[in-house]
Amino acid sequence: MFDSFRHIIRLFLREAKMVAHDHSLLLTLLIAPLLYAFFYGSLYSYKVEEKVKLAVADDDKSELSRAFLQQLNKMQIADVVGAVNLSDAQEKMYRGDCQGYLYIPDGVQKKVLALQQGDIVLAVNAARFLPSSELAGAVTKLAMTVGAGVRLKYNEMQGLNTAMAMQETQPVNLDYRPLYNTRSSYGAFLLPGLLALILQQTMLLGLAGSVALDKQRRHIPELVRTGGGSLSTALWGKGLFYMILFFCYACFFMTVNYATLDIPFRGRVFDVAVAFILFFFTLIPLGVWLGSLFNSQLLAAQLLAFSTYPIFLVSGYAWPYESLPVPMQWLSSMVPTTPFLHIYQSIVQSGATLQQNVPSMLHLLALWAFYVLLALLSLRRLNKQQQALSL
Amino acid sequence: MLRAIFKITIREWKRIFSLPEHYLVMLVLPPLLCFLYAYIYNGQFVKDQPVAIWDEAHSPLSRKFTFMLQETESINITQQVNNEAALEKMIQDGTVAAAIHFPARMDDHIKSRQPVYITVYTNTASVVTAKLIYKDAAKVLLTAGSGVILQKLVKTGMPTGKAMALVQPIKLSTYFLYNPRYSYQQYLVPGLIAVALQMMMIMVTVLVLNMEVKKGTIGALNILANGSASNILIGKTLAHLSIAWINYIMVTFILFPLMAAGQIGGSWGLFVIFTLLMLACISVGMTVSAIVDDVMVACDLGLFYTSPAFVFSGYTFPRWGIPWYDQYYAWIMPSTPFLDAFFKVYFMQLPLSYVYKEMGQLLLFVIITFPLAILFLQRKLNKLRLQHV
Repeated sequence: MFDSFRHIIRLFLREAKMVAHDHSLLLTLLIAPLLYAFFYGSLYSYKVEEKVKLAVADDDKSELSRAFLQQLNKMQIADVVGAVNLSDAQEKMYRGDCQGYLYIPDGVQKKVLALQQGDIVLAVNAARFLPSSELAGAVTKLAMTVGAGVRLKYNEMQGLNTAMAMQETQPVNLDYRPLYNTRSSYGAFLLPGLLALILQQTMLLGLAGSVALDKQRRHIPELVRTGGGSLSTALWGKGLFYMILFFCYACFFMTVNYATLDIPFRGRVFDVAVAFILFFFTLIPLGVWLGSLFNSQLLAAQLLAFSTYPIFLVSGYAWPYESLPVPMQWLSSMVPTTPFLHIYQSIVQSGATLQQNVPSMLHLLALWAFYVLLALLSLRRLNKQQQALSL
Repeated sequence: MLRAIFKITIREWKRIFSLPEHYLVMLVLPPLLCFLYAYIYNGQFVKDQPVAIWDEAHSPLSRKFTFMLQETESINITQQVNNEAALEKMIQDGTVAAAIHFPARMDDHIKSRQPVYITVYTNTASVVTAKLIYKDAAKVLLTAGSGVILQKLVKTGMPTGKAMALVQPIKLSTYFLYNPRYSYQQYLVPGLIAVALQMMMIMVTVLVLNMEVKKGTIGALNILANGSASNILIGKTLAHLSIAWINYIMVTFILFPLMAAGQIGGSWGLFVIFTLLMLACISVGMTVSAIVDDVMVACDLGLFYTSPAFVFSGYTFPRWGIPWYDQYYAWIMPSTPFLDAFFKVYFMQLPLSYVYKEMGQLLLFVIITFPLAILFLQRKLNKLRLQHV
């Protein structure tokens, strides 16, 4: 027991020395996580998009249309840009000066006053998802509010008092309660996941790069020897450095970054710490196994760089797991990010506990066992190969 | 000169097909990654998300509303609950993504002129799902609400047409142009692929010159180029550009038409802006390669430079919604003007005259970095010649 502990400490020091002497590992492990956390964090610091430009061609030029546009411009989401006519509004959208256009034809007010429907047209550039859907939602809401106002006036003219007229105007109302992200902001949704993903990817890049470097230099037998001949000690001794380093990063992100970016933390610190530890314990053998597949550190860095987006996209965070094709669901289930992000998101954002995430915890544990097995097998194979070569 | 450039291009092709750092990234990864992206979004839409109903009304109207909600694309009613605590617990542990509450005596209240509030709860920690469920639920409930108003007005003896006009005095016709059904596959996949191809090109070209130094082949290359850095850079650029065109063919002739509803072969405009993007990437990559001798450090620089490209480009989250310093960072990546032009040329099918600004910005990358690459490489070649002498 004491021997194993001593070997692990030696391997930890060996890894620290290796990182300190390698520019690339130093960059990936010490600078990249902080740099990325700053960059990605600041990117979504405003969290919601505001003032989406909308060109307006108002041919009605009536009191109603002016009031409508005034209200529209007051909305946080919209920024009204004047257009001479419909084709000018279209041209503005083509040039990218606005994300859509609203056309109010002549005679709308006249129709509304004559108790006829007044038609207005909204065209949004749906190739840009977020701004167009937000704009369409806001304009629809405004049109309905104006409609309700017209009904209110009508009811009052029918002799109802204001309170009764109000009740009659909208008998069925919608009360929307978005839980855990009350502003429904894209930033508040994405930031927690992005911070976790930064930790994962930099850890995998660094650890896989380090194993690939050991392999490239034919140092695997030396690594195993430093671990007292035990593959398991070699694995966890090497991994201990990453465990400590990334646990420190996780603590930093969860405190400093969460505070500066104003991300709410609704769960218990203990629960999220356990989730992170289990996650890192799963990533360490995964990183060692991945690193063992590459013949050089360069190739490991080059190819793993392309894993970030696919891993994030299949993890079920941005796109629901159930909406993935079945083979993609299998792939998603093999990635530790999937169960981890499920646990992490529900603890951090919804205030859930570990007890409410038992299936995902078991999933993560199963992946840990699987990747430990793969890592040990690959270390044994490489050890044998390189020992044979040195003989 | 032309002969030297031609020889270097042929030599570079051989290197691309023989070095794993080149062929894995330039030839193996593009089809794999592109098909993976397209396949992830093969479902195109978020469908049948689990939703709970808390029905205290137990009335014909609440049952009718429930039926209408079940008919929508994103809502699948899987649970019935009896109180708010149970509902919140289900949302918290992920059993359901949303819940809808019908209050007690809802029908009576509607008849007796008491406003009724139907509550929609969503787990907005998952904002994509929450917004889609809300959109569908709001559509159903507002339509149902309008139906109630219409019935009330008709009951007072008002003609249906007039009643209809009063229900919806302003009829808003909304047109969702270029991606009317909000298909994620149609929207996200082309952008992801464009950024991936940019990243691949830069990740490879940051290695094209320093790798020659590392492998000790720079001397032979120098001889082949008659000591001219520009010959080397032009020759290598042509080789890498031709590989980029192969990827363009793969993407626009197979992937976009099959999986992202794009037209076969893209368009002339798309080809032009893609070529400009690739030239910008090659120039930037080769400049790094000419300056940084350590291949690992060059690779890391390429990685740090390109990996945030997608989120900074404004493709998903608009650029005007990010802090000013991030907006500046976005402009030092070729993907930013490219994706702006891509929206116009690919989605909106506008002619190149609408993207001259973006084309100019892409050209600027070449104009600034290509001479820099020549300068640094020439200095290296001169040193090499001196050492040789």
